[in-house]
Amino acid sequence: MTAPETLVTPTATGRSRSLWARYSWIGWVVVLGLALLFPYVVDRPRFWLPNIGVRSLWLGIIAMSLVFLNRYVGLLSLAQVTIAGISAYGVGYVMVTLDQPFFIAIPVGITAGTVAGFLVALIAARTKAIYFLMITLALGQVFYSYASQAIEVTNARRGLAPIKKPDLEIINLNDITTFYFAALLAAVICFLLCRYVAASTFGMALQGIRDSPERMAALGYKVNRYRIAAITFSAFIASIGGVVLVFDRAQIDPDVVSLGSTLDVLVVAVIGGIGSLGGVFIGAIILTLLDNFAQDFTDRYMTLTGIVFILVLLFAPAGIAGIGAQVKRAFDRRRKNASDPGDDPQQEPTATQPTGEAITKGKQQ
Amino acid sequence: MDQFLLIALNGLTLAAVYFLVASGLTLIFGLMRVITMAHGTSYLLGGYIGYVIARETGNWLLGALGAAIAVGVLGLIIHQVLIRRFQDDDMRVALVTLGVSLIGTDLMLAVFGGTATQVAIPAAFQVGLPLPGLGSYPLIRLLILLVAVLVGVGLTLFINKTRYGSIVRAGVDDSQMTSATGVNVRVVFASIFFLGSALAGFAGVVGGTLFPLLPGQDGSYLLFSLVVVIVGGMGSVPGAAIGAALVGIVSQFALVYAPTYSLVLTFALMVVVLAIRPQGILGRRSAT
Repeated sequence: MTAPETLVTPTATGRSRSLWARYSWIGWVVVLGLALLFPYVVDRPRFWLPNIGVRSLWLGIIAMSLVFLNRYVGLLSLAQVTIAGISAYGVGYVMVTLDQPFFIAIPVGITAGTVAGFLVALIAARTKAIYFLMITLALGQVFYSYASQAIEVTNARRGLAPIKKPDLEIINLNDITTFYFAALLAAVICFLLCRYVAASTFGMALQGIRDSPERMAALGYKVNRYRIAAITFSAFIASIGGVVLVFDRAQIDPDVVSLGSTLDVLVVAVIGGIGSLGGVFIGAIILTLLDNFAQDFTDRYMTLTGIVFILVLLFAPAGIAGIGAQVKRAFDRRRKNASDPGDDPQQEPTATQPTGEAITKGKQQ
Repeated sequence: MDQFLLIALNGLTLAAVYFLVASGLTLIFGLMRVITMAHGTSYLLGGYIGYVIARETGNWLLGALGAAIAVGVLGLIIHQVLIRRFQDDDMRVALVTLGVSLIGTDLMLAVFGGTATQVAIPAAFQVGLPLPGLGSYPLIRLLILLVAVLVGVGLTLFINKTRYGSIVRAGVDDSQMTSATGVNVRVVFASIFFLGSALAGFAGVVGGTLFPLLPGQDGSYLLFSLVVVIVGGMGSVPGAAIGAALVGIVSQFALVYAPTYSLVLTFALMVVVLAIRPQGILGRRSAT
């Protein structure tokens, strides 16, 4: 396995970037157009909008926060669902327990999620790679066990309900089409925000830290602070996803932060492409479609999801969004091999000689 | 005082099960630097296989042995087919094995259903053993504690005292140099994976004897074994023992004195250890 194909190396698309960069806006316009038309072209909006549309959007937003961290910081966090869940619980607590309106609940929820992300960062930022993965997974389960037991705050297993969608007279979010557009707006804002942050000097520093923390530290960057800031930012994105989630479900219960939901979001991120911010929505649509239609022909929907997940990991590590670049790279390599056999640097650093990426990305203890 | 002792003993016997699961995980990590997220699945599958064999043959030992071998072989197959090709990319190994656990959870639910089952033990062991200051304590729990201690001592001796163990340790430090000296590191990797998975399967039978086997336990035992190895230090068998003892005792005491927050406190232990000693209690500080 060559280094550029590892999960945490997003530069895989580098060679095709110039072409892609020139025309990418057309692609985004088409995607956005399709998303805007979606409510009007489906045969049964009452089924499609909530089950596929809105659910894909919040799954995508949460997965996007995970992808942001993985792509620009090189950390794979399994706590993003938990953070979204904390945000959702925040909204639920304010609206149900304290009986306050949504315009107080939403900021409280997002703040709660972001602060939770900051705390996760304080604990986990010192660790890297596989340790980070395990610790965020474990922290997520801490919250799950808390949420399913703390009856006075989270109402334990029964959860908090009902969480009514806001009605603003002109814009009534109880109308599913309107709600879909609101969710779409949130997703677009999150996407643009992630892109903006990634392209800022802050984002550049993050990528530098991802590639070589020692060098960045030597340059005077406070590596840990940058990591913590990035984790907190991604928690903010996940919290927005959590707000959409809680209004979509109209309730919040521990299932939202269970291991299963964590895996759902991971599956979404991996299938869509763990190095691609926009790809997550493809992944989300695939997962929701599987979820809704697989049960028509098999009871083993989870098995099917798992098989798709493993196949993607084995054969398209950059996900659906990376398939184009992967095919192109395969062609490039073939051409290169044909013209100059035996001098392909990408063939050399294999498992027997773990140099470069594999050792800094994969083997941190 | 009685209650205190009882809780401590309960904690230790629980720790025995945790140790058996986590020792396999720490062994695999110790040599291969990969984490298999399917470890909890191995545990639960082992428990179910042991349950079936013990039910059919009426022999607990046969069940435990069969489960260990079956899960070990399955682990070996997974290692050869899915993990070996990107052994140096531990993130992808973690994700692939998560996928395996996703499938495993679903298939086990399909085959064994959602009801609780428990591995049967011979009636001779279903007795209480009089202990000073305690009254009577289930013999089977003490036996399991003994088994865990034996496995732990055996593993430690195996790694530190035998020739094979020194090959394993050499592989940990520098797999390239080890293979350059003529050791087939691949076979070492594969056999360690077999051993680690077999330990998880065996732990499943042991755990399934003490506690009912339920869907969802694959996830919780994966988490507990992760916590144990994080607390104890990755790759260290004595570390896993210490981690398991801490986790077991803390969770039992918390269950009695703060039942609502028992799980939270167990994980809080991990957070505290990480804050003070990120590499775990007996973990080696990495060179990088």
